[in-house]
Amino acid sequence: MKSPADNTNTLLELENVTFRYPDGCVGLDGCSLAIHLGSRNVLIGANGSGKTTLFQHANGLLRPQSGLVRYAGAAVDYSRGGLRQLRSKVGLVFQNPDHQLFSASVQEDVSFGPLNLGLGQESARERVAAALQAVGMASFSDKAVHNLSFGQKKRVCIAGVLAMDPELLVLDEPMAGLDHGMRKELLAVLDELNGRGITLLLATHDIDFAYRWADRIHLMTGGRCVASLDAAKLADDGHALSAVGLPLPAVVELQRALGAHGLLSDSALPRSHSELLAMLDGPTSQSH
Amino acid sequence: MLIEQSAYANRWRKASPAAKGIFALGGFCAAFAAGAPAAAVVVALLIAAATLAGAGIPSGRYLRAVTPAFFFLGISCLSLAFSLRLDDGTGELSLALTPSGMQKVAEVSARSIAALTALLFLVLTTPLTDLIALFRRLKTPEVLLEIMVLCYRMLFVLSAAVHDTLSAQSARLGYATPRLAIRSLGGLAANLTLQVWQRAHALHMAAQARNNDGPLRFLEPVFANSGRDAIIATAAGSALVALAVGWS
Repeated sequence: MKSPADNTNTLLELENVTFRYPDGCVGLDGCSLAIHLGSRNVLIGANGSGKTTLFQHANGLLRPQSGLVRYAGAAVDYSRGGLRQLRSKVGLVFQNPDHQLFSASVQEDVSFGPLNLGLGQESARERVAAALQAVGMASFSDKAVHNLSFGQKKRVCIAGVLAMDPELLVLDEPMAGLDHGMRKELLAVLDELNGRGITLLLATHDIDFAYRWADRIHLMTGGRCVASLDAAKLADDGHALSAVGLPLPAVVELQRALGAHGLLSDSALPRSHSELLAMLDGPTSQSH
Repeated sequence: MLIEQSAYANRWRKASPAAKGIFALGGFCAAFAAGAPAAAVVVALLIAAATLAGAGIPSGRYLRAVTPAFFFLGISCLSLAFSLRLDDGTGELSLALTPSGMQKVAEVSARSIAALTALLFLVLTTPLTDLIALFRRLKTPEVLLEIMVLCYRMLFVLSAAVHDTLSAQSARLGYATPRLAIRSLGGLAANLTLQVWQRAHALHMAAQARNNDGPLRFLEPVFANSGRDAIIATAAGSALVALAVGWS
């Protein structure tokens, strides 16, 4: 694994972070990880592998018992002011929307973060409008939270964090509980945010989605990040995936099988089902 | 849910909550100022008409909202109308309907109905979030507002949790016999207690993650034409009071 400190554009970095919960459960066990500015990152691992604990360290909700968390090259300052600064830059979206939304009004809940940053009513109002617009929920601003669907609540949660104008957006299993249509909508929102320069880090169990979407894939097991892989080269890292009990993405297996039958060039590296279909229809496959 | 649905879907949803509060307050004052039961009844009818025709609350929904209150009012009126009398000679107890009792019933019930319609007007046309924002502008102590905000939100979260747990218990015959039902209810209460604690912790974490340092701060909703709405509401409320006082 590449040393996180090698990169000058590292936004968030964990170095040998260890955290144990009061009941003795291991949250993180010597975990090291680097997130680069502007990148799309996926944290993938089994339940209980430490993904949520890592996220809570990223936002300063948990403090390492040993090791170091750095943000933009500087060690995180756990004073009141230091945490305030960190949390204004690292936005955390929780897995269960009902754990995050505590005002019954969409607009009110989204305004909670900006007002905590000390913004005035008018600036906060502008941020709320822009954040709701970004997640496609502008027309729901005066609706009641309890009348929204699960997917809409998730988008309100993202808006609540976006309104704080974060540099790094951390999402804990954002696709959990969403149907296909909602996933597509959420993915479009995330792509748009990344296009605006926001660095994204999200947890998932879905290796196919991770391969299709991410720039970097971080593998978690037993409270450690055991590998940080370049998603584009994931096909060559099957051993790293199998070490944490993950299969190769289905599209890679299919591409290999088609290549073995001479139906697709070996150099073709589709990242998704639709890319594979396009290649099969395109000139690459025709030449073989 | 009945009141909740109307509060979010009525013609006066976007009208200023302060204006609706002023009109409701006018209705209350008129109810108490009404010199005759007939005056209070007229006030009640006018407020109900404003709720149904003005705000566009469906009459069926309005009747369903008002019926439980009428039931309790009816029971209270019965206890006012009848008096228990002990016959000195025979020592027998008897129920008696007195003219003064009937007069009292007419006065109290007419005023109560007028006050009830004023209150229903407010809650059927104004979501609680808007009312809380109004209380905030009226400088209600922050701690009370925070309790209101959290209780209101948690009401729906916990009702969903109760529904889910009840369904899970029923699916496994948790309520098949009275004995099992008591046992399941105990389990439900225990489970909810734990969930309340866990959810409180989760909300605290979520608040911290968004830089909260104590008080819960929210954006004040803005209502177009709030000045105009307030003037109209003040005029309408004053008219109700004048009608109640001037009725002869």
